[in-house]
Amino acid sequence: MSLRDWLRNSWLVEHETSPEEIAGLLAIVERDLANAKVAGLSEDWQLNIAYNAALQAATAALAAAGYRATREQHHYRTIQSLAYTVGWPPAAVGRFDRFRKKRNITGYETAGVISMAEAQEMYKLAEGLRDDVVSWLKKNHPKLLKS
Amino acid sequence: MGILLPMVGSQGITPEGSVSLFGKTRQTLLALLYTRADQEHLQESLIQLAGLGRGTVQRELEFLARAGVVRRTVRGRQVYFQANPESPIFGELRGLVVKTAGVADALRAVLAPLAGRIRVAFVYGSVAQGTERRGSDLDVMVLGDVSFAEASEALAGAQGAIGREVNPTVYPPAEFRTKLAAKHHFLRSVLRAKKIFLIGDEHELARLAKK
Repeated sequence: MSLRDWLRNSWLVEHETSPEEIAGLLAIVERDLANAKVAGLSEDWQLNIAYNAALQAATAALAAAGYRATREQHHYRTIQSLAYTVGWPPAAVGRFDRFRKKRNITGYETAGVISMAEAQEMYKLAEGLRDDVVSWLKKNHPKLLKS
Repeated sequence: MGILLPMVGSQGITPEGSVSLFGKTRQTLLALLYTRADQEHLQESLIQLAGLGRGTVQRELEFLARAGVVRRTVRGRQVYFQANPESPIFGELRGLVVKTAGVADALRAVLAPLAGRIRVAFVYGSVAQGTERRGSDLDVMVLGDVSFAEASEALAGAQGAIGREVNPTVYPPAEFRTKLAAKHHFLRSVLRAKKIFLIGDEHELARLAKK
């Protein structure tokens, strides 16, 4: 499998990005990493915001590679694409994806199923992904970072 | 590498209100044999794990062997039993057992490598209450010093066998206590509701909540 195959399966569409778009996405990542730390937030929200930071980082990498995920299973595909963009190992991709499932469940079921420890774990994952995406961009797409 | 775990028997496995297909002894033994169908089990260890009378277990094992769903092997002075993969209903029976009686066992087996760092783990929600529907997730609460990543990765290993998504929530003991003290609604309602214990028991949970 490759992102090319995903394109053929209509899981992705081709996407032409720009330094401005990448800068915009990375700014959302930073904003959400900061927002997730705001005092007094519920664990559900902390996890949600940190999750969004991580998702936007993955979106930036996918855009730099020339694609974006189609609407159907958008989050799932964007997360899975990390294996082909920044080269995340299956275990790391799986970890991120299990947070996606967790977040789906908490969206419509019991409030409070997320512990502080879990929210902090999601935050660390998002921070780590941000670092990985930025260094991958520096190495592979320096022109997209010039702005 | 057989894992010796206490057998909870049909309690919890067959929540009140749902009809058990098999009697207690048969259900217990089928669960033991069919959730680890790739292993031979020493008769002595089956007797021990089943927690039922020796005669009862021996009679039932002989019956299952005659029925062809279990294979009996004698080596030296030891008698071994194993789920019989040549039985024409092997696949169906294994599915049936794992999805009912074997669920708890399957979860215990995948949590075993983390058991040293888990104080209490239990199934709650619809599966524990016996009100699950076909698409219901299986909710598992894990109290201990493990991460969500570790617990969810381990539990994902049982998903295929169980045929349900496993949805863990992990609380370090200190956070669990703090939130209970603050009358956290979700945790309090989980504590009151029905559970299937996987690691630890009601007493350990009460100890954890108080300390």
